[in-house]
Amino acid sequence: MKIGIPRALLYYYYHPLWKTFFEKLGFEVVTSGKTTKELIDKGIKASVPEICVPIKIFNGHVLELLEAGVDYIFIPRMMSTRKGEFYCPKFMGLPDMVRYSIPGAKDKILFPKVTSLTDDISDFKIYSEMGETLGVSNKQIKAALLDGQKAWIEFRRITKEGYTALEVLDYVETGKKPQNPIKDYRVTIGLMGYVYDVYDEFVSMGIVDKLREMGVLVETFEMMDENLLDAELSDMNKRLFWTFSNKLLAAGYKFFKDGHIDGIIHVTAFGCGPDSLIGKIMELDSNEFGKPFMTIRVDEHTGENHLLTRIEAFIDMIYREKVKVKKEA
Amino acid sequence: MKVAFPYMGTTVIYKKLIELLGHDVVEPPEPTQRTIELGVKYSPEFACFPLKVVLGSYIEAVELGATTIVTSGGHGPCRAGFYGETHKKILRNLGYDVDIIVFDDYKSDKTGTIKKVRRLKNGKSWFYLWKSLKTVYSMAKSLDNIEKRIEKMRAYEVNRGECTKAWQTIKTWFDEVENIEDVRKTEGKSNKLLGEIKLIEVPEPNKIKIGIVGEIYVVMEQSINLRIEEMLGGLGAEVERSQYLSKWIDFNLLPKGIGKEHELNILKKGEKYIQEIIGGHAKQTVGHIVDYAERGFDGVVHLMPFACLPELVSQSIIPAISKEHNIPVITLSIDEQTGAANTLTRMEAFMDLIKSIKRTKIA
Repeated sequence: MKIGIPRALLYYYYHPLWKTFFEKLGFEVVTSGKTTKELIDKGIKASVPEICVPIKIFNGHVLELLEAGVDYIFIPRMMSTRKGEFYCPKFMGLPDMVRYSIPGAKDKILFPKVTSLTDDISDFKIYSEMGETLGVSNKQIKAALLDGQKAWIEFRRITKEGYTALEVLDYVETGKKPQNPIKDYRVTIGLMGYVYDVYDEFVSMGIVDKLREMGVLVETFEMMDENLLDAELSDMNKRLFWTFSNKLLAAGYKFFKDGHIDGIIHVTAFGCGPDSLIGKIMELDSNEFGKPFMTIRVDEHTGENHLLTRIEAFIDMIYREKVKVKKEA
Repeated sequence: MKVAFPYMGTTVIYKKLIELLGHDVVEPPEPTQRTIELGVKYSPEFACFPLKVVLGSYIEAVELGATTIVTSGGHGPCRAGFYGETHKKILRNLGYDVDIIVFDDYKSDKTGTIKKVRRLKNGKSWFYLWKSLKTVYSMAKSLDNIEKRIEKMRAYEVNRGECTKAWQTIKTWFDEVENIEDVRKTEGKSNKLLGEIKLIEVPEPNKIKIGIVGEIYVVMEQSINLRIEEMLGGLGAEVERSQYLSKWIDFNLLPKGIGKEHELNILKKGEKYIQEIIGGHAKQTVGHIVDYAERGFDGVVHLMPFACLPELVSQSIIPAISKEHNIPVITLSIDEQTGAANTLTRMEAFMDLIKSIKRTKIA
């Protein structure tokens, strides 16, 4: 039996867990290919016009998997991975949207409900309901989850050493250890952005690599320790409702306060609701901290040259300022 | 303390509560183009439309002298629950000196809620507060009943605009009430006024009924949704909304087990399409569409603010529901760019479609 996993959304955060899990159960895992212009176009046709780019891309990946003839597509209903917090409504309704808006998908979706108290979502209770459909026993599920959990923890551990999700996903898959992140750098940038925006090379046009080529050390939220991040939000009156948005905002605050971060870039996809608020909060607070902050909003039409020009100008500005301060000192 | 509140629906109800507690009320003006422009100017570009309008209306209230704004919060996961915090930050940044009291889910912050209530209670006794709440609640109930009647009558009035005019008058009458007895009397007086309006007789099978569903703010606030009820009424359709203030109070504020059957029933009807409550009113939206189809309505107008997170989920699913339940549904996404002429054309086309379906059904 073939199980499809779309290379979109939380693929970039949980794939090692899910892939290992299904493979240990003896299924063939089919991951959709990289996002292409063609795939986005298909996704756009299958989505309502106003919805955000990541969801349109997701639909494109689902269509690709359906065409590839998989038996099931795994689209977990992401509800909550922290007490009192949720996911964006679109994540919570994702399986419903796919089932009722993509022709031929209705009976092919596996959608366990993910409710957990931590980021580690390898709890047996979440996955047990799939046992009957897949024809596997509880014991098998438990064993497979244990392996999945191991793979995921390893994935997270290496990410925190400063590697990007793409590098680590590659490592987990092929065993090829990524090269050290650059040692010689002139500027350090805190990059705020959801994993599915930053690491989808079509959406962000490989922004991390572009920055590195310019001699920039890039830090992202998933390279930081969860508990440290969480502490950043302790003086907020009311936290945001969305777990990943909180992580992003916490990372943003940390970047603001952290002396070795020279500037912050916020990558956001067109139509992202939570980001519309985060962007404003960051914008208002950046005055207080006096740190350069730039928002890059990307969608399926964004031109590569445009993006390059903007980040080049931003990095040059920061670098010049840095040199000037050094000279004066 | 000069108290204002967000403008949504029949505002005379909130005004009354604050007045009964002995505060000066600064009623924000009904949203106009200026309100929208103010809101759009200072809100995040991609924020949802209600956030922008409410911000604009707060600024106008502050200009009129309000020092405190009372509003409801929420527990998410839709952006509406974070309006209070966002508004506070933006207003502070603009240099307005105003205090925003946000009432969040009382279960998650009991002591905080009690503190806020004490502040608003203004030294009045708890018994007095209870009495005031009861008065206001009965006012919400009666106003909703009257509005529901008007929404039906509008389709058949002989002189265009008479019902809307009566509705304005009725709201000013309710502005004068002081206790439950007054509410009852005013309701009687209002019904008498409505009884005097001349109506065209239309045989039952020819009546066109349209349900309005969607996100609460754009469904309830007529100045924002292009007065869609009046528009549809003018085109000869009875309308019913999915959201009324008294229903909202029933579901969100009353203790468990009281007055919730209706909403729970609606949620059950939506279960097939959206299994979990995903924030906002997405699940209610799909539930109401099923409900309207079952009750023999001829069509549904689905209203949502541009890029509303939960309603985008329901919008994605609506074509499937419309097909399965054989009911036409049109979605209008509303923001500062929405034009009245465009919407009118779409509504006319929608009505033509409904009428032609009806004709073939009867024939």
